[in-house]
Amino acid sequence: MMKAVGPVYFLLALWLVMVPGPCAGSPSSEAAVPASPSDDSRSAAIATESPEPPSETDPLKSSDPPEPAASVDQKDPDETFLTEVPPSSQPEQTVAAIADPLEPVNRAFFRFNDKLYFWVLKPVATGYKTVIPEDGRIGIRNFFSNVGTPVRLVNCLLQAKFKGAGNETVRFVLNTTIGIAGFLDPAKKTFKIEKQEADLGQTLGIWGIGPAFYINLPVLGPSSARDTVGYVGDLFFDPRTYLAYYFFIAEIVNSGTWVMDKVNETSLTLGEYENFKKAALDPYIALREAYAQYRQNKIRK
Amino acid sequence: MRSACLIRIMLFLFLVAAMAVPALAASPLEEMKQTTDKILSIVTNPALKAPSKTEERERLIRQTVDERFDWEEMARRSLAIHWAKRTAEERKEFIRLFSDLVERTYMKKVEDYSGEKVLYEGETKEGDYASVRVKIVTKKDEDIPVEYHLKKEGNDWFIYDISIEGVSLVNNYRVQFHSIISQSSYENLVKRLKEKVELK
Repeated sequence: MMKAVGPVYFLLALWLVMVPGPCAGSPSSEAAVPASPSDDSRSAAIATESPEPPSETDPLKSSDPPEPAASVDQKDPDETFLTEVPPSSQPEQTVAAIADPLEPVNRAFFRFNDKLYFWVLKPVATGYKTVIPEDGRIGIRNFFSNVGTPVRLVNCLLQAKFKGAGNETVRFVLNTTIGIAGFLDPAKKTFKIEKQEADLGQTLGIWGIGPAFYINLPVLGPSSARDTVGYVGDLFFDPRTYLAYYFFIAEIVNSGTWVMDKVNETSLTLGEYENFKKAALDPYIALREAYAQYRQNKIRK
Repeated sequence: MRSACLIRIMLFLFLVAAMAVPALAASPLEEMKQTTDKILSIVTNPALKAPSKTEERERLIRQTVDERFDWEEMARRSLAIHWAKRTAEERKEFIRLFSDLVERTYMKKVEDYSGEKVLYEGETKEGDYASVRVKIVTKKDEDIPVEYHLKKEGNDWFIYDISIEGVSLVNNYRVQFHSIISQSSYENLVKRLKEKVELK
């Protein structure tokens, strides 16, 4: 679930952060960028004035409403906005991207998580940050990510993403060995093998199951009915779960690793939640909508 | 006689081509790149780093951002069905407040710029609408896919929405605005926007 929560704050912050986008450090590094794409399919798309031929005839993107041409022709959009569907957005207009029948309970847990962040998580992570340098914390993040490989591998297979499954397998072998138990990521840095994010909530989504409704879980954060089921299912493939069978202190060890993961992740993303809240008029809704759209996007890919 | 005719045709074609080139030059991706590079040059300019230059720096960034953003289009899409009910004055005020909110949030983070890279991944055009896909690589080695949505006005392209990891800024604000308006009123939304903008 961490995996879901962290990126959401992060991307929320970033999206306001990057507006037209701080970019390459220098003109020379920018120029070098298109010359060294990480894979072949990308290099074709990078060329500045040659969008991939198929997408020229496609709608702007796969999620676009089927009638973008209609909105192009609008002469006076003010009159017709009720029915107009802007090309950039989801088919819904003012409609929320996810049902929220539990809103009062969810809002209560949102406030709880908010306090948990400001009163506990943030002070702890700030202290932790002063003790362990950033490289070390990125190493710890890599370690936890590497341990979570079985979850991604199994879900890649369930989603018939065989290339992703292969990548995950190769990454695990490389990073566990020459990456020193997963603390380093030579698979990405040296061999350009990208991590393939996959979880059971996403798998269920690809199989055609909708998110059902929004759940703001205490401690764990934003989720949906489907993704909560997925989260519990993924625990079966998480090696950390099996610590519980072999050590009598396992429950403590298990929750210890979880807390460590959470604190470490928070230390790497301090300030992002604050910025996200500053940009939002109703942070609860902003987070809910961002989560719903983020997950939709993960399932479309 | 025949060759003179050919020369005339060639000349004519050449003229057409020469006139067409500047008109075609403005690809959405190129324009995005120009704006991004311009902002980057301001952000990384050592002469503007001094605390006494902060205002000047902010003004320059704001100006560059304004040149590329279609704030009215963005505001209109964010208010959606509520836009039609607004008077010209209300719209003007809303555009100002909304663009302020987005810009201020952006400005705060520009201060933290630390060499993130933007890789241009491609563009898609359809009529007067286009999207430009970039990938931002952070210092912590994470890739964030960003998509700029642009609309053509005259010869130039203007941003009316930004999606990060598939999460659209306009969509997100639209649901927030709609929820506030339907639960209280438009006046309350403006009040809350003002509080937000003045807070920072």
